[in-house]
Amino acid sequence: MLRFIQILSYGLLNGALYSLVALGLSLVFGVMNYLMVAHGGLIMLAAYTTFWAFFYTHMDPFLFILVVTPLFFIIGWILFKVLFQSLMKFPEGEKIKNSLLISFGLLLIFSNLAILFWTADERAVTTIYSGKVLDVFGVRLPYIGLGGVAIAIIVISALHLFLTRTYFGKAIRAVSLDHEAATLMGINVSKVCLVAFSIGFALAGIPGVITSLHAFNPAISFELTNKALIVLILAGVGSIKGVLIGGFFLGAIEAAGVYLVGTPYREVFGLILFVLILMFRPQGLAGKRA
Amino acid sequence: MLEVHRVDVHYGDIQALWNVSFRVEDGEIVSLIGSNGAGKTTVLKTISGILGLTQGSVMIDGVRSDTIKAYQIVERGVSLVPEGRRLFRDMTVLENLELGGYIGKARPRKDENLKWVFQMFPILDKRVHQLAGTLSGGEQQMLAIARGLMSEPKLLLVDELSLGLAPLIVKHIYMTLKEINRPKNTTILIVEQNVRLALEISDRGYIIENGRITGEGKGSELLRSDKVKSAYLAMG
Repeated sequence: MLRFIQILSYGLLNGALYSLVALGLSLVFGVMNYLMVAHGGLIMLAAYTTFWAFFYTHMDPFLFILVVTPLFFIIGWILFKVLFQSLMKFPEGEKIKNSLLISFGLLLIFSNLAILFWTADERAVTTIYSGKVLDVFGVRLPYIGLGGVAIAIIVISALHLFLTRTYFGKAIRAVSLDHEAATLMGINVSKVCLVAFSIGFALAGIPGVITSLHAFNPAISFELTNKALIVLILAGVGSIKGVLIGGFFLGAIEAAGVYLVGTPYREVFGLILFVLILMFRPQGLAGKRA
Repeated sequence: MLEVHRVDVHYGDIQALWNVSFRVEDGEIVSLIGSNGAGKTTVLKTISGILGLTQGSVMIDGVRSDTIKAYQIVERGVSLVPEGRRLFRDMTVLENLELGGYIGKARPRKDENLKWVFQMFPILDKRVHQLAGTLSGGEQQMLAIARGLMSEPKLLLVDELSLGLAPLIVKHIYMTLKEINRPKNTTILIVEQNVRLALEISDRGYIIENGRITGEGKGSELLRSDKVKSAYLAMG
């Protein structure tokens, strides 16, 4: 029993990271129907940025969230202007297809650039609290994982409040529901899309910092995109609260897989879940409609 | 207030409006009547900037508005209540109204404006925290109009509000439009297939057929004219 609880708690700690990984992708997909599969690549680049910054400054890696997030916001802003703005005039289906092609290209470019700059070796930021655990009745909870949970809850709540309490947040939701009606309200739809897209990039910075605290390499970008897509399907499109639940759920399912079958099958369970959800509940666990 | 001057509009290669000219004076209620596919909605979409014109001009208060972006036209004091209502269905009634008053100059007066629209449509006050998609058809149309009013428009464009609604509700909403018109001197341009109802509350009306303006006159005159009687009212 203790072993199960231990595995499950690892799963949930991982789940918090999965929520953060999926958050930006979900926001961008919800608002403008761009399927940004390069998101995992961004997180990987954010991890390397953190690794680099830590290597030179030796400051606490969590502090780098304050640097990496605005940096990626700016990168998102530029890439939207250069690559993604022209897709806005396409019909919905075409937006998904074209953004998928562009961002898949970006994903390949990102991971190859990372190999070029940092080689394919495993890296990790090692702090004084790396590997330290909190012992709760025999269940070992790593501090880094707990930090991840706290950050996930704070970030997702903050995003939720931003989207429901501010004029600009409401404008983002209005645009995600109906571009033309939003225009009729006097909302500058292209500006809202630009900012939402950049926020999506900024949100890649946060899981990037947490990823840097575990072993990572350039190939992790594909794995992260994979997780983000599974959580997106679990959560239902456009549901921010659903992303938090979906991330934890994926973490728990993976933990169950590890407990029942074994560690090598961890990924398999997530993908089976992906297929099952698409077959039986395509609107997602939290979503109301397709 | 509004002057549409010799406007042509195309959808791709297909021309939808030919040389359309008409004007709406300050404080008037004007209706644009015509059958399905005559170009009524196209006219409203052109005024609100969603469709670009290929020829001619649109002036609001003497300033050209066809050269600016659609979202900026709202700031010029024009608000469109679109066909099919186009509410933000997954957002609450209150959020829909707040978005209606999104533009900078309307935000500081949000509370006053909410009070004003709730006074006109008290049912919305009871439904403030309900999702817009769960309202009945009539309530949704009221919300769409209320949302359009939250930006404090000088000119309100209303597209086919009777669509899919019970006649009594339509009548009630039209009476409310008249109430909106008077105290705040809000100019209203109505597009409507229900010709009798539209002309009854309008000061003036224009007839549009196949993308061309083919007639105009006072509301009461048009109602009595043989052309309108035979073509739209199935009389004579």
